[in-house]
Amino acid sequence: MKISVGYLYPDIMATYGDRGNVETVVRRCGWRNIAVDVTELRLGDPIDSEALDLIVIGGGGEAQQRLVAPDLCRVKGAGIREAVALGAAALAVGGGYELFGRFCQQERGAELRGVELFDAWTIRQRAVLGDHYGTISEARADRAIGELVVRWGARLLVGFENHGGGTYLGPAAQPLGQVLSGHGNNGDGFEGVILANAVGTYLRGPCLAKNPALADFLISAAVTRRYSAADLPPLADELEQAAHDAAIRRAVEATRAGRGKLRRARFAKAGLAPARHARCTLARAALRLSAQRPGGGSAHTSGVRARSGARR
Amino acid sequence: MTLSSAGVAGVSLAASARRALAVSAGKAARSGARRLRRGNGTAIPGQVALTIDPGALAGLVGEITRGSVLVTGSNGKGTTCRMLAHVMRDAGLHPVVNHEGSNQRSGLATTMVAHSTPTGHLPADGQAIGLFEVDEGSLPEILRHIGRPKALVFTNIFRDQLDRYLEPAYITALLERAMRRLPADTALVLNADDPRVAYLAPDLSNPRIYFGMEDTDAGRGAADPTSDFPRCPRCDGELSYTCVYYAHLGHWACMSCGLARPRPQVSVTKVDLAGPSSTSLQVVTQTADIVLEIPLPGLYNAYNALSAVAAADRCQLPDRSLSAIEQITAAAFRMEKVRVAGHDVYLALAKNANGYTEVLRAVLGDRQPKRMLLGLNDFPGKQPDTSWIWDVDFGSLAGLVPAPVVSGNRAADLAVRLKYAGWVEAGPWTDLAVEPDPVRAFQIALARTPPGQPMWVVSTSDVLLQVRRWLRQQGYVRALWREQRGPARWQA
Repeated sequence: MKISVGYLYPDIMATYGDRGNVETVVRRCGWRNIAVDVTELRLGDPIDSEALDLIVIGGGGEAQQRLVAPDLCRVKGAGIREAVALGAAALAVGGGYELFGRFCQQERGAELRGVELFDAWTIRQRAVLGDHYGTISEARADRAIGELVVRWGARLLVGFENHGGGTYLGPAAQPLGQVLSGHGNNGDGFEGVILANAVGTYLRGPCLAKNPALADFLISAAVTRRYSAADLPPLADELEQAAHDAAIRRAVEATRAGRGKLRRARFAKAGLAPARHARCTLARAALRLSAQRPGGGSAHTSGVRARSGARR
Repeated sequence: MTLSSAGVAGVSLAASARRALAVSAGKAARSGARRLRRGNGTAIPGQVALTIDPGALAGLVGEITRGSVLVTGSNGKGTTCRMLAHVMRDAGLHPVVNHEGSNQRSGLATTMVAHSTPTGHLPADGQAIGLFEVDEGSLPEILRHIGRPKALVFTNIFRDQLDRYLEPAYITALLERAMRRLPADTALVLNADDPRVAYLAPDLSNPRIYFGMEDTDAGRGAADPTSDFPRCPRCDGELSYTCVYYAHLGHWACMSCGLARPRPQVSVTKVDLAGPSSTSLQVVTQTADIVLEIPLPGLYNAYNALSAVAAADRCQLPDRSLSAIEQITAAAFRMEKVRVAGHDVYLALAKNANGYTEVLRAVLGDRQPKRMLLGLNDFPGKQPDTSWIWDVDFGSLAGLVPAPVVSGNRAADLAVRLKYAGWVEAGPWTDLAVEPDPVRAFQIALARTPPGQPMWVVSTSDVLLQVRRWLRQQGYVRALWREQRGPARWQA
């Protein structure tokens, strides 16, 4: 069995260890004896929509976005849309997520045309790299930075977010999940976007390593596209789960430590889940997760061991 | 005396009284902080002095007879400073160095307060020269106080502490804006191998001195996986490399506009990375050609020695003093060696992707398996992101560390990273231990190390600070003033 991964702009869109997402897919496939053929797609390289089973693009700042946007639009856009329409999976993170929408606003209001895969667009409240920031703390204050916890169906996704843009979804777009802690798309309580097997998200970390469920969703979609069906044997994910649980615990602690007030207010303002409810959901989820593991939260349990071979 | 000159005298008298008060209050704060066991007080004394007299730092630095040299950049500025201080002392100068203070504004002020007399002046010393390590993010602020440095040394610019500094593009823009304030005679000592540094503020007419590696045998040939692939600093085009030393440092040229690495005036013509504890390099300047044997490992330390030589050359220090660089000893956490229960234990700080990679390469470069405790921690509210560990080149070193122990409040993330880099399933002994508590992790790692064999602790700061505190309590190491400081203040 073999799937084909197209990795977009590995030399440009690779902030925040984003190449780790591709590494995660390759390893998790390898442990299941699925071969992975990774094609690095740089500026000028076309997309073979028939051949690709999974398309991955990482994040980047405005300078990187300006560099790749024309190429994404003219050279690769149609191929990406076609591949997804044919059932291919896709993961777009951060700056790449913003560019997979209709347009993405840059500093001083200029707009970059996107791939138009997602019915979404990104507005930058204020410039991030503009000259008007005298100090780092000024520049930092304009960004959404911190742990992000998202409810995705029956599961939780965790990650780190750091973005200066707010992404808004059009009527045709479905958010990936609901924000339990953090900022998400634009503070309206939702995070990311999902269209068939294509996922756009602000989750970093890199997100697939700490969210094996999301990784397996994409792998399963890619295998299904190639072989019409996928039956992925489960892997021993103790280490991944421990990192996942630790991220949730950090978010819960941050919520308890007072910054939660702001968050609760934001939930209430958005008229979504009642604020208290959102917090309880998060705490309950964390409790449930720690109850599932013998001996409570495993990240703080000493001597968690992974023996050779990742198969259970 | 006319009325107006009396007024001027009165003002200057008031100013000098204020300076004296600021210095005295700063000194009092320093001894108070020490007595309260709040460490040496590396920021508070400076803060106190600057609150009383905002001009204290500028005034006191202005009294340094032979002017000041500032060293800034992402990695290596501390070691470069300490190497340069050895050369200066050997040349008969008396460097005023901020080894004690932090590398931000208040830390520099603390250093100056410590060197001043209670009357608010530096003791008259014709051989005094300032040598300051400056946090790259603080350079604009520092240049407002130290307006006329003799030389400004830039070691390199890496993507570092992303959530704090945003991006290299932001940092270079910040530095360039600050550099516009420099007087025309301040020399810029620049790393030719770093395209971001080499092309800083190209329109300034200041003298530019480039340093770089010429020994292509020490290069990695192809692109380094830890590189963040900077684009051409002039036209944003793609850069091509004929030789990569590490990350994005190497012999670069732009494929679009033809901008290329400038020819360095000070260069390393031969480097021999002798092993996990020393390096030999041949350095050539316009007047000197010397071989330095430095007791520190890794290509990054060769770069540190190179930038120190370039700065010394620019300051016209005698060539015979350059060999004083060999007197460098490992600073705390810079491959610092501690003898513990029959083992040589090396403590090495790795604070970002390139630092982590280069430390591991320095230790494991001989491809001999070694015992290791690896740590990762974040600073909640300051630097919560640790995704940079995915840019560390663990992959090529898989199988070289039997039974690694991982620690720190982000140990779980590091364990996942090692698993996906193939560290868990490669080699015969791959039992990975995850222990967030640094002291317990250290004990596990030590117990796993066969008798008499060395062990390395490679980590971000918090794990190292806790291990070292425990080592001090056990009597293995001396107290360290830095140990008392909060980890978030840890200086690079």
